Amino acid sequence: MGVLLDVIGIALLALGLVLSTIGLYGLLRRPDIFHQLHAAGLITGPAVILVLLASLGTGRATIITSAILVVVFVLITAPLAAHAIAQAAVRREASPSEDSEPRG
Amino acid sequence: MPEVVIAIAAGWATLLLFGGGLLLLRATDALHRLLALEVLVSIVVVLLTVLSYLRDVSYYIDVALALALLSFTATLVVARYVTRGRPL
Repeated sequence: MGVLLDVIGIALLALGLVLSTIGLYGLLRRPDIFHQLHAAGLITGPAVILVLLASLGTGRATIITSAILVVVFVLITAPLAAHAIAQAAVRREASPSEDSEPRG
Repeated sequence: MPEVVIAIAAGWATLLLFGGGLLLLRATDALHRLLALEVLVSIVVVLLTVLSYLRDVSYYIDVALALALLSFTATLVVARYVTRGRPL
């Protein structure tokens, strides 16, 4: 049982770190804010959750409880933050085009 | 989990932190900086979690929770500030 938990913990930890690396590569490669949001969503959501779920491998009840609290919090807030940034980008791109059109 | 694996994970997360710093240096306007800071906070949350596994104590994860809460509030406020020109 202990070996199984170890394997699960190591696999989740490695998967989370690989997802973070992929997301950071995408962020450094893409200049556009919407493409960057796509890559950042990979880090702020799934990668953090996978690393937090790797707490199963430690077998400590206090660590697992705190980690599950953070998982619930991240599940709620990560989409909200990404949506706020996307909405700000859309509104900022929409407003200069309105201003640049000739009036009258 | 074996300590070697957790130590390697901590080193990897630190390298990711340097990548996030590079991203912040390359940002050109407020939204890119906001996104880079959000990603940096996520990487710091990962680093604190790995540190908690390494030291085998639980309170580093509570620090991560507080940091995530601050980051969420700051992201919402700055996103409003970029569009409306005032914080709220």
